[in-house]
Amino acid sequence: MLLRLVWASLIRHRARTILAVLGVAVSAAMLLDMVMLSSGMRASFKNLLLSRGFQIRLSPKGTLPFDTDATIAEAGAVTASLRAIPGVTTVSPVLGGQLYVTIGDRMTTAIAIGVDPAVQGDYEITAGRSPRAANELVASDDFLRATGAQIGDTLAAAAGFDPQLRAVTGRRALVLVGRAHFIYLAAAQNAVALPLQTLQEMRGEPARDRVSLFMVRASSSDSVDSVLANIERALPRVTAVSIATAMRQVDERLSYFRQLAVILGAVSLGVGFLLVTTLVTVSVNERLGEIIVMRAIGVARARVVLQVLLESTAIMLVGAVGGLGLGLVTARYLNSILASLPGLPAAIDFFLFEPRDAWTALGALASAGVLADIYPSWRGASLPIAATLREEAVA
Amino acid sequence: MTALLAFLFIQAIDSIPPRSAPRSIAIDERLAADAGLKVGDRIFVSAAPGGAGDTVIIAAITRGRADPSEVARSEYRVRMHLDQLQTLTGYADRVDRFAIGTRSEPATDSALRAINSVAFGFRAHRSRDIAVETSRTFVVVSRFHRAIGVITIVASAIFLLCIMLLKVDERRRDIAALRLLGISNRSIIRGVMIEAALVSSLGSAMGVGLGWVASLIINWHYRGVYRTPLAFAVITPSIVGLAVALSLVLGLGAGLLAGRRLVRQPPLDLLTGRHERRRAVTATA
Repeated sequence: MLLRLVWASLIRHRARTILAVLGVAVSAAMLLDMVMLSSGMRASFKNLLLSRGFQIRLSPKGTLPFDTDATIAEAGAVTASLRAIPGVTTVSPVLGGQLYVTIGDRMTTAIAIGVDPAVQGDYEITAGRSPRAANELVASDDFLRATGAQIGDTLAAAAGFDPQLRAVTGRRALVLVGRAHFIYLAAAQNAVALPLQTLQEMRGEPARDRVSLFMVRASSSDSVDSVLANIERALPRVTAVSIATAMRQVDERLSYFRQLAVILGAVSLGVGFLLVTTLVTVSVNERLGEIIVMRAIGVARARVVLQVLLESTAIMLVGAVGGLGLGLVTARYLNSILASLPGLPAAIDFFLFEPRDAWTALGALASAGVLADIYPSWRGASLPIAATLREEAVA
Repeated sequence: MTALLAFLFIQAIDSIPPRSAPRSIAIDERLAADAGLKVGDRIFVSAAPGGAGDTVIIAAITRGRADPSEVARSEYRVRMHLDQLQTLTGYADRVDRFAIGTRSEPATDSALRAINSVAFGFRAHRSRDIAVETSRTFVVVSRFHRAIGVITIVASAIFLLCIMLLKVDERRRDIAALRLLGISNRSIIRGVMIEAALVSSLGSAMGVGLGWVASLIINWHYRGVYRTPLAFAVITPSIVGLAVALSLVLGLGAGLLAGRRLVRQPPLDLLTGRHERRRAVTATA
């Protein structure tokens, strides 16, 4: 009976109810998007950093990995020192640079990464194989598209360009042996990876025994802090960055989006709350006569409150469920916009859906629905029966 | 240059006597604040931590420009004499770039053509093109804001329509009485629309005031966070115009829909509430 009354009340003003549900759906969509935005990029970045199991990065003192052109000297000695630290299981040195590949009369520039292929954590092979010999390299899809090169081709490559002579330096013939997906690079970037020593030799004296960063894998997540402390003690000229430190840096640089998410999420919730409060209040005001008659014939106040509560909850829930679907669609669209931020790794998602986000949005909206119900239900339940009946009769 | 800034190593050297008259440098105010430095202090600068360097005197403290491309970068900036920096970094007689001033736009074009066709090993770019390239991040953020704006407009439109329906519905008896008195449907719809326009105008005025206060808070907050004079939120007449125009259009649209919906009902039904009872009967049946 109660549910029938709620249903009848809701469909009495179909247009109004549909609009309220639509309004709540848009608010819910925005709220879900903002919950996803506030936590998504953090989770996504953490997943990215941990995707290859390296918990620590070492960069030149005072810098973040690949934030500057600075390099770490005496890379061989540093590698040996790192391997000697208890708890360190893998050390992967990485040198960044440029590679100029000439095919015919056309030159293509690519980001070059010098790695130890046996322990590297920068790319995943999607076709072919990893470099084994000194003159082998793997390349990204974009590089292959830009150059038209295929696995097995020999490429005329160089590691530098002298603007005075307008000539390339550090020439080498390299064989393309694989196609790779570069985990930390932005979308649509020409990239290649080759053995570290080859890139160091090609870059010449400035890169001799130097690397841009080390990636370090600890034996377990519990030992990361002690490994970090040992590294800082053993190597004072490098900055050791753990996942937690990196996350703090990301938080600092992308704090704008998190704060925007909090503000817009709060506004969405506020709009949804106001909409439902207004609607239910007007609805109760319109039905004062009906409510008072129910109370006059013995219907308990709690039942009146429950009916009003069910009405607002129904609007909120139906709107929220529709809004969650709408939110996923808009999140995808908004993510495609932010994915084009320059220099951002292609694997980063600003809007990462996790079931917890949906529950958070749903929970917030349900709470708002209950709060929205307080005033109208109090009004419906507290009116004096005789006086209100007389007023309604006169009206 | 970035390598130098990254490795900039500063230490107090009050106890070290200078070998010759130190030269002057300018540092940015963030570095001055963080390192507790002031004009007249002597510091030691080197290209690498612990490496050979030079003793210099801080002659000026500079404030960063309102440059969007630098907003998220937290490096400290030090301005030195060119030859001093070349010596310090072992860069010899080399520079990263030249900035060239021209008298007019045509002069810029001809200078670009001349440099790019004659100079060997140089490439000249228009400052505007470089600015566009370095502001790509903000172009993306701007697109994101526009998308959020569209969603907000949709939500506002629904909200406004809902409110107008409620308002008009609430006054159905007055409207029924007016119609029974012979007031035309057109006049009633016009009245509802004028009311909607007033509500929209009042809401817009309050919204502009709220937006202005919000922009002050946003600028104050983010200027503090990023330590930059950059304006993060700017309210321009065109933005106010767009917001007010949108609000009016949405309000008038909502008023038109609500008014037309009401005048379609017979006035006696509106007066007695029979149309509602009819809906209720249908619903319970």
